[in-house]
Parts: sequence; C-alpha cells; structure tokens
Amino acid sequence: MCLQNFPCQEVERHNKPEVELKTSPELLLNPVLICRNEAEKCLIETSINSLRISLKVKQSDELENILTKKFLRFLSMRAEAFQVLRRKPVQGYDISFLITNYHCEEMQKHKLIDFIDIDKEISELKMSVNTRGRLVATEFLKQFI
Amino acid sequence: MILLQSHSRFLLQTLLNRLHNLDKTIELDYHWVEFDDVRYHIQVSMKNPHHVLLSVSLPTPPPETVSAFYGGLPFGALEAIKIAYSGIVQILDPPRDGFNLTLRLNLSKLPPDEEYRHAILVKIASVREVVLGAPLRVILKGLGSRTAASNLDRLVALVHRPKESLFLIPQAEKVTVVFPMRFKDSIDIVLATSFLQEFVEARRTAGLSNAPLCLWSPTPPLELKGAPAEALSANAGFVTIVIFPRHVEGKKLDRTVWSLSTFHAYVSYHVKCSEGFMHTRMRRRVESLIQALDRAKPDSENSKKTGHNASFKRLSLKEGRTSRK
Repeated sequence: MCLQNFPCQEVERHNKPEVELKTSPELLLNPVLICRNEAEKCLIETSINSLRISLKVKQSDELENILTKKFLRFLSMRAEAFQVLRRKPVQGYDISFLITNYHCEEMQKHKLIDFIDIDKEISELKMSVNTRGRLVATEFLKQFI
Repeated sequence: MILLQSHSRFLLQTLLNRLHNLDKTIELDYHWVEFDDVRYHIQVSMKNPHHVLLSVSLPTPPPETVSAFYGGLPFGALEAIKIAYSGIVQILDPPRDGFNLTLRLNLSKLPPDEEYRHAILVKIASVREVVLGAPLRVILKGLGSRTAASNLDRLVALVHRPKESLFLIPQAEKVTVVFPMRFKDSIDIVLATSFLQEFVEARRTAGLSNAPLCLWSPTPPLELKGAPAEALSANAGFVTIVIFPRHVEGKKLDRTVWSLSTFHAYVSYHVKCSEGFMHTRMRRRVESLIQALDRAKPDSENSKKTGHNASFKRLSLKEGRTSRK
C-alpha cells in the first residue's frame, strides 16, 4: 500500500486512479492473484496511486450463492457510504475495492486492511436460515403428534 | 406467531364488534382478501341489523379438480357447513355474484353464555377451514374410522391455491399427500427448497418419530403417475407427507386438516419472514462496517494538532516584522 499522489499524465489538472484507467503501462505493477481454490480467490491489482482488490467468495450451494449475491448487492448499493467500495465488481469476482492515495492519507492503513470479513457473515446468515427452517419444520410436525 | 391461525382475525373482530353494539343500527360493507386468494365480503344492512351476510370466494380451481366441485363448492363442504353451524347459519342459494358461498348469520340466535358464544364466533371466522378443508376432512375421517372408501388407491386432486392442487392417494392404512411446491420469486425458491429439506431432517430427530413421514424430492414422486402434466411442474420440488390413522384420531383431525390445507401458505409465510430477518441483519451489518471504516480515520482533532506542529508555524505580526528586519 505504498501509494503516492500522481496527477494524470495526459490531461492537465486531472488526477485519476491509474489502476482503473490503465493509460500508461509504466505506472502499473504486476497484479497478484491469491487462490485458495477455484471458488475462493483474491486479485490485487496495483498502480502508482491506487490499488484494486477483488474478492470471490465461496459459494458451495445455491443458498450460499443467493445469500452472497444479496449481501454484496446490499453493500454495493451503499457504496458511497463506504468510499473504498467499487459500485461494480471486476468481471469474474463478487466484490471489488478501490483504494486510492487519498484514502491512505486520511485513514490509517492497518485499520483499512482489517475492514472486511464477508465469509463469516455469509456462513452466519446461512446458519440462521437453516435454524429457522428446522424450527419451522419441527413446529409443523409437532402438530400431528 | 409460528403457526397460522385458522380463523380470519379481521372477520372475528368484525363479528365481535357487531355483537357488542347490537342495538346500534349501522351499515357494514367490507371486502377483504386473505392468503391463497380467498376473498370475503361481509354486509349488514340498516333494515335487519341482526342479520349478517357473509360471502366467501375460493381460489380458482385447476382443471383437474373442477369435477370435484358441486355448485361451486368442494365436495362435502355443504354438509360440513350444516354440521358446523347448525341453527345459527342459513345458506343462501344462489350465492352472491362472484362468490362461492353466502351465509346468513342471525346474531340474535347466539347463546347468551359469553364463552360459548365466543367459541361459535371463532368457528364462524374459520369458515375457510370448514369449506376448503371439507374434502380433505372426509378422506381423513375415512382413514380414522378405517372405513374403506370407494375411491381407494385412486389419485384425488384438491384445490388449495389458485390454479394449483394438492394430491391425495387414500389407502386402507394410510393417506399419502403430495404437494407440488411452486414459488414465483427465485430467492423464494431457494429458501423454500432449503426449508423443505429441513422438514425431512427434522422428521428424523428422536422427538418427532411419531410425526407423519415427510419426504422431499425435486422430481414428481411415483404416486403422481396419473396426474396431468401441467400439475407436475413445480419449481421447488414435491413434498410427500404420509398420514396414518394415529394422526387423525379424535380432536387431532381438525388440526391435521388445517395444517395440511395451509402447508404452502405456512412455508411461504416463513420464507418471507426469514427474508425480512435477513434484510434487517444485513442493514445492521452495513452499519457496523461503516463504523469500522470510520474508526480507520484518525481522530480529526488529533490530526489538526500534529499538522500544526510538524509542518507549519504560524507567525505572529511581531515575529513577522522582526524577521523582515
């Protein structure tokens, strides 16, 4: 996260995240892809003044798929409140963050890093759905006894 | 409220209200709709304030159950109404336009005893259970008394939702009930599927070993061989519940009839509830995430101070002059 202020090279007085625009190759660094397996991976693309982190969350069944989709849509719809969240994820991923040098200047880096914990939330949601289903089923069947 | 109640709350409230103000002559004309497209209409006129006209319209029957309707009512319904409301209620023939059944209630004929009267009103408010559950009740009663019905081993289709039916296979020792489960929303389908699988799981626990056998399958079960093709498309699979005589003994019959005939509504109600719960939870989560982000910003007051000390030094007028000299 060594980002620095870097004005745009083509247009005067513009200052854009280079990782999004990719105008000049010399400003980009090699992207890093961290994979746990095919379903769970994390792509980090970096440039001189910004970095983009994209996550793909594990979705083992349809229920998890729906829950993930719902939750992440919930987040992206409130993207302006989060500042670092991208409104649309990068193709092939579930959620993306865009961190620029400005974010690094006004926030403490280490706290920015431990911001997201989506996996846990999804599994908790799934648990709660299943518990509820079990309770509902038990109550229904109890009536017959 | 986990279980659905069999009486229509609004209808009960209206009747109780009417009863408490019996000496006042007012005009009433209410229409309302309940789940599964059951419509009610209640009317009280100025002329006879003691008479209440109650009309009920049932969900549109799918083609396979039309033959089981007599005069707009499912078979056994007329008898069931007569048994349930003898003395207080009169069935009007023909019913009101657009409704399947119209009852005339005479409030002055209700017994004076408060508790008994309330029980009767609750019974009237559950008119839906009496009418829609009538055919199911007939078949299950046959199972309870072990009188072999004439239509043994034949597939019986009963309407339970607009244009949808549930299927019964009455046998001497058991009645198999099959529900094709359909939902409109893709999220509902997924949630309902996981709920229905929980039914199967829950049945396996020790405490429920006496409950009816419960199965779920994504494809139509073998029992539905003779059913029409359009009844066999269900996007959330098929639930099979096997009812044995011990589930319809005595007082249990009413409860069994009600819970079977509202099975779909019950599942869908809880699917919607858990969706609502999920949304609240996600909203809370979003808030906590925003807080986490706010914490990442260093304290604004602190930063001002450090800024001062490190980079800038404000010169006072005096200092400015001296430095110029």
